Amino acid sequence: MTLDPITPAFSPVDLAIPVFVVTILLEIILARLGKVRAVYEVKDTATSLGMGLGSSIAGAITGGVIFAASLWVYKYHLFDIPMTAWWAWVAVFFLEDLTYYWFHRLSHERRFWWASHVNHHTSQHYNLATALRQTWTGGLAGTWLLWLPLVFLGFPPAMVVIQKGISLVYQYWIHTEAVRRMPRWFEAVFNTPSHHRVHHARNPRYLDANYAGILIIWDRMFGSYIPEDDAEACRYGIVHNLGDFNIFRVAFHEWMAIGKDLAGSRSIREVIGYLFGPPGWSPDGSRDTSATLKAKWRARMATVSPAASEETIPLQAAE
Amino acid sequence: MNETILKLAGSALAVAIMVAIAWLARIARPMTPLDEAGARLLIAEEFPDLSPDQLWVAGDGGGAVARAGEDALVVYRLGDSWVARSMPWVSALAAPVKRGKVLLKLRDPAAPMARLTVSGVSPWPPKSAQEVLAA
Ligand SMILES: [Zn+2]
Ligand SMILES: [Zn+2]
Repeated sequence: MTLDPITPAFSPVDLAIPVFVVTILLEIILARLGKVRAVYEVKDTATSLGMGLGSSIAGAITGGVIFAASLWVYKYHLFDIPMTAWWAWVAVFFLEDLTYYWFHRLSHERRFWWASHVNHHTSQHYNLATALRQTWTGGLAGTWLLWLPLVFLGFPPAMVVIQKGISLVYQYWIHTEAVRRMPRWFEAVFNTPSHHRVHHARNPRYLDANYAGILIIWDRMFGSYIPEDDAEACRYGIVHNLGDFNIFRVAFHEWMAIGKDLAGSRSIREVIGYLFGPPGWSPDGSRDTSATLKAKWRARMATVSPAASEETIPLQAAE
Repeated sequence: MNETILKLAGSALAVAIMVAIAWLARIARPMTPLDEAGARLLIAEEFPDLSPDQLWVAGDGGGAVARAGEDALVVYRLGDSWVARSMPWVSALAAPVKRGKVLLKLRDPAAPMARLTVSGVSPWPPKSAQEVLAA
């Protein structure tokens, strides 16, 4: 196989599609037979898979612009990084995964980017179909710009695209309740079903955690790691869950909410706050953000057990 | 171009098959209609910092409305899950009833409207609220 630095030799996601279909069917059938834990609601499943299908169409539309931007940046690259060198693949593996971590963290902590990423979190279920509930507006949100520094460093555009695909395929299998825990060493290094369940949970204690792509080490390093506590089951979805299964609502509701807030803004401060503040930001603080929800949760826990500090909240008291 | 359309058609067919199997499998969460205790539990979970007093449960148990001060706390069923929002209590009281459902405008693009079943035993506005209004 030749490795063209510009056109990817293969698409990990395209290759994985048959695996997606077979494993989703398997998860459903095994759950039906009582062999594994999985919950599928038919309309929710249709919405997740429909979002996946729509996302590939949206990706094809914006892909051209993103590709052109990568080529333009590559013209000015700093170092010649050969695509055939093993160390180059090791380096791109770590650097792409680090980029993903910060992309993902930004996508949760700032509303403009949350408006695109929220799509992925709108299901109240956590199964392999949820993995395919992908955004339609990632191109619009512009987070793809975050990967351009890798190209500027000298990683060939095709290499970055392939590694992004590998990461996406890796993250597919972790969207399951069928696997409780992987071996300890694996849980310590890699993103796993357990870590990512926490990421999809709306329980205040689990909000804004585990942004990892492939490696969980970034969360441990940057202080966003929260382990799954078996005493508090994850409740999946978003803080204010969607009111119906309408696929267009899934794709655009947060953009619409931003538009509504901007229309009612009375100052530049409000415009900036509504666009780039944390999700839930409001001028008078009347809405909840992750931070206020966590603070209220801590306060409740402290009244249950006044001695409880942030770290030592009794597990049995958790809601 | 033809290849793209073919791929898309293939994916759409695969989606249809997966959805059909999910439908046949019937492995959604088991749901029972809300009664008063269930509604209180659900509302406590969704609004842990508020202590509602009056509670109204929809005729079919598909949702509930509780009053906490000036707020109406609304929960309603979606598939095998629940959706929760709050709205001003006065707006909730004034909500229209059409074809056996009270239509609660939630003013949120993510969940614009809750439609809760009204019945003889659970009319809208709630009896207790009517008494307050009449007084
Ligand atoms: Zn996320
Ligand atoms: Zn996910």
